[in-house]
Amino acid sequence: MPVYVDISRCIGCRSCEVACKRVHGGSGHVNVHFAGDNASVPVFCHHCEEASCTMACFTQALHKVGERTAFDVEKCTGCGLCRLACPFGVVWTDKIAHKCDLCEGRETPACVLTCPANALSLDFELASRRARARAALVAAHGGRR
Amino acid sequence: MIKVDEKKCLGCFSCSNVCPSQNITRTETPELRSVHWKRCKEECDLCVEFCPAKALTLVPYDESCPEPTLSFDLVACKICGSRYATEPMLKRIESSLPANLQKDSTGLDWIWVCPVCRRNIEAERATKQMVLGRSRKSP
Amino acid sequence: MPQVLVPTVCPYCAAGCGFFIAVEKERALGIEYMPEHPASEGSLCSKGNAALEILYHPDRLRTPLKRHGDGWARITWEEALDLTARGLGGPLKKYGPNSIGFFASSKCTNEENYLIEKLARVLGSKNVDGCARLCHAPSVVGLNRTLGAAGMTNPIKDLANSKCIFVIGSNLAENHPILSRWIHRAKDSGAVVIVADPRMTHTAWMADVFLQLKPGTDVALLNGLIHVIIKEGLIDREYVAKWTRGYEELAESVRDYTPEKVAEITGILAGDIVRAARSYAISPASVILYSMGITQHTTGTDNVQAIANLALICGHLGREGTGVMPLRGQNNVQGACDMGALADFYPGYRKADDPETIEYFRAAWGVDSVPLGRGLTATEMIDKAGTGEIKAIYIVGEDPANSDPCSQNVRAALDNLEFLVVQDIFMTATAQLADVVLPAAAWAEKEGTYTSTERRVQWSAKAIEPPGSARCDLDIICEIAKRLGAQFNYPDAASVLAEINRVVPQYGGITRPRLDDFGLIWPCPNLNHPGTPILHTQGFKFSEGRATIVPVSYKPAAEDSSWDYPFILTTGRVAVHHNAGSMTRRSPSLLEREPNLFVEINPFDALRLKVADGDEVTVTTPRGETVAYARITERLKKGVAFMPFHFPGTNILTSEVRDPEAMIPEFKVSACKITRRD
Repeated sequence: MPVYVDISRCIGCRSCEVACKRVHGGSGHVNVHFAGDNASVPVFCHHCEEASCTMACFTQALHKVGERTAFDVEKCTGCGLCRLACPFGVVWTDKIAHKCDLCEGRETPACVLTCPANALSLDFELASRRARARAALVAAHGGRR
Repeated sequence: MIKVDEKKCLGCFSCSNVCPSQNITRTETPELRSVHWKRCKEECDLCVEFCPAKALTLVPYDESCPEPTLSFDLVACKICGSRYATEPMLKRIESSLPANLQKDSTGLDWIWVCPVCRRNIEAERATKQMVLGRSRKSP
Repeated sequence: MPQVLVPTVCPYCAAGCGFFIAVEKERALGIEYMPEHPASEGSLCSKGNAALEILYHPDRLRTPLKRHGDGWARITWEEALDLTARGLGGPLKKYGPNSIGFFASSKCTNEENYLIEKLARVLGSKNVDGCARLCHAPSVVGLNRTLGAAGMTNPIKDLANSKCIFVIGSNLAENHPILSRWIHRAKDSGAVVIVADPRMTHTAWMADVFLQLKPGTDVALLNGLIHVIIKEGLIDREYVAKWTRGYEELAESVRDYTPEKVAEITGILAGDIVRAARSYAISPASVILYSMGITQHTTGTDNVQAIANLALICGHLGREGTGVMPLRGQNNVQGACDMGALADFYPGYRKADDPETIEYFRAAWGVDSVPLGRGLTATEMIDKAGTGEIKAIYIVGEDPANSDPCSQNVRAALDNLEFLVVQDIFMTATAQLADVVLPAAAWAEKEGTYTSTERRVQWSAKAIEPPGSARCDLDIICEIAKRLGAQFNYPDAASVLAEINRVVPQYGGITRPRLDDFGLIWPCPNLNHPGTPILHTQGFKFSEGRATIVPVSYKPAAEDSSWDYPFILTTGRVAVHHNAGSMTRRSPSLLEREPNLFVEINPFDALRLKVADGDEVTVTTPRGETVAYARITERLKKGVAFMPFHFPGTNILTSEVRDPEAMIPEFKVSACKITRRD
């Protein structure tokens, strides 16, 4: 299950970036991008259904396990093909590949737990549910007061 | 000793990463990537096994054989111009992905765009609505 | 290998987020989140996530040092403590107790602050103050005068119950990021968010109404809102009649603050002023959040009073989802104030100029006398050090050489002292000027209580030993006190807390055994009291329970742009740094995200100055000049520039002119000029 972002909540504090790097021993998998002065968004692995990184990986180090795009470091040769195969530019390589592993071994990924604004979650529909609820309330009040 | 088929080699880092004796070295400048295979007497064939292109073969040791070096020009990103990959690697990606995945929703050939620009495009796409909404609010 | 999870409180801002330090073989290895925490629900900002990085930093002070020519000599604790006692004791005897000064630390525990306060007082010195002087001194003065209590009236999570959230002069999205969690939750339930700030900050992203005012025009805006609310008959008449006094004078005083006039002063559209006023007044529960953008002005106290006035006339106090919320900066600045680390107060906000206070503490501490009257504030102590009236200062965990305005004057003044002792975890710019430097333990290396901005007193446990021969501040203070003849026999923090329980009524029931589950919120007068999350539910601590409305009128900031200095420079913080930066600038994962001092300039101004993004520019004020990288941004209006104060360059520029009552310098408005460096 990938991590989903409610962009309306992101405050650009870069907490997810620092937390990700911290729990992965210095290898961070999140990049917070700023869209001018008006918005920010963390960019990280979507765990694509049709994951091109797994198609490019010739050792099956990257492979699908259910919804997850899993990574087996034992099989990785660090060839760098996955970095070039990721449409979102979120896999990077040095001697091995580095990508979001949804914090394997932890119940909830660190970025989800640490996000001060509650912008990250494992719930695909949370952001749209919140937006719908807000819209309904605004309508009930006859538009923004 | 290792023999390289230069038509097949992608210029990736697999063999140099897996070689336990550091017999395969690489150098990289902003424009050029070179891989160099030393003559080795090892009986190991890890590099052969882990070559994605099957470009390597194990041959008997021969003192007189020159040590091969292959150089690859790095391809420039279609958006920012920074050089980010060897052409055979990008061609390899093209051949391993189905055609429908090779263009994004705007029709962009993203394979020929560097990872940094790919991230920027993704961030821009994701925040578009938000930026529009917020800039309307604060003229 | 057994791993132990030690609960602790984040050492950065005052939100008071809790987390666990994973300790193995006496080393702090990692952080685990604390999802049950009432204020943060386990979340941590970037600073919190990087908190452990400073613990094993090579720059940590490990042994006591004394000045030796141009450098430093390592000395034993024995020698260091003797030198300190002589350095403070000499002037004490020769020139009297008011020739020495004490800087308490908003980074230290309540127990340590209490001991510094007590040490100063029992030695007879009135001069004990702290960095609250530079952040919320106006809140202490202004809120005590109007509402009778300084501090956030409602807890952080109560923000979620609010229907209108008015943020003025606070970039909480970057500086107290976990608050945005609760604001978003309120928005999900239909709350309106109003943000007033000279910059389109990350906080402004949350706003439904954004009021981009000119720096220093807050009173005009607040009076304008009050004017609209009164004119449109939106005041809470019942509340005003029952719980306040002074409404008539206020109504009279804001008569001229029409939206049109206020628009002219502040640069905000009149329509937006009316919209904001209506939203705030009509909503069933509205809250005002503010911080340095309100307080760090020559009119800081007026700004705070205007905020209290606004809340009072609408009756938005004493209920869920309402309140006046000054967001404190340092992890224990609230506690340091509670413990009396302010020149005008003894512990528990007992006024220093009240003879009853003196009698109370003489008895409580079993001493012959403690001094009556207000002492010198932190900023005044620096002045008097410059003129030679203050001879020796003991600074615990503060860096005035970086954090005070016009810092070159501060350095000269500290240099002029006969004796300066600095107790810190790093060799700060202030420690560089000291005669003796005492190495202290960081927060994870000692135990004690911290009081967060929501008045929550939390126990932070000791996780690891301090590096080298560094010692916890509590031990060091006790050792110095003993050498100066004071009876300080406290084996640990709990024993000091027990004395605080007896001496400070608000902390009466906040005992060590009761602190295990995320602490208690003061006032908590006795052992059976559950704490008081919401203040003023039954009126105020004045006669008839009435709060005081104090009309204030708009006065322009001390400096305005001019021909020579065409820009208004305002200062603030960024998400990945904290205050003077002695910790965050040593934290690799934070520094790499914001390594250099920058100045934000509007694109229009940049064009005129021929400055491109990333160019080096010189920023000059009458005080001095500093070099920074230009950042071109539409966040600011024309004519306004912004610099973060985490780097040493910024406070070279800021002005020393102060609020006459709270003595806080006007960090937020300085006229400056900007030129490209070629």
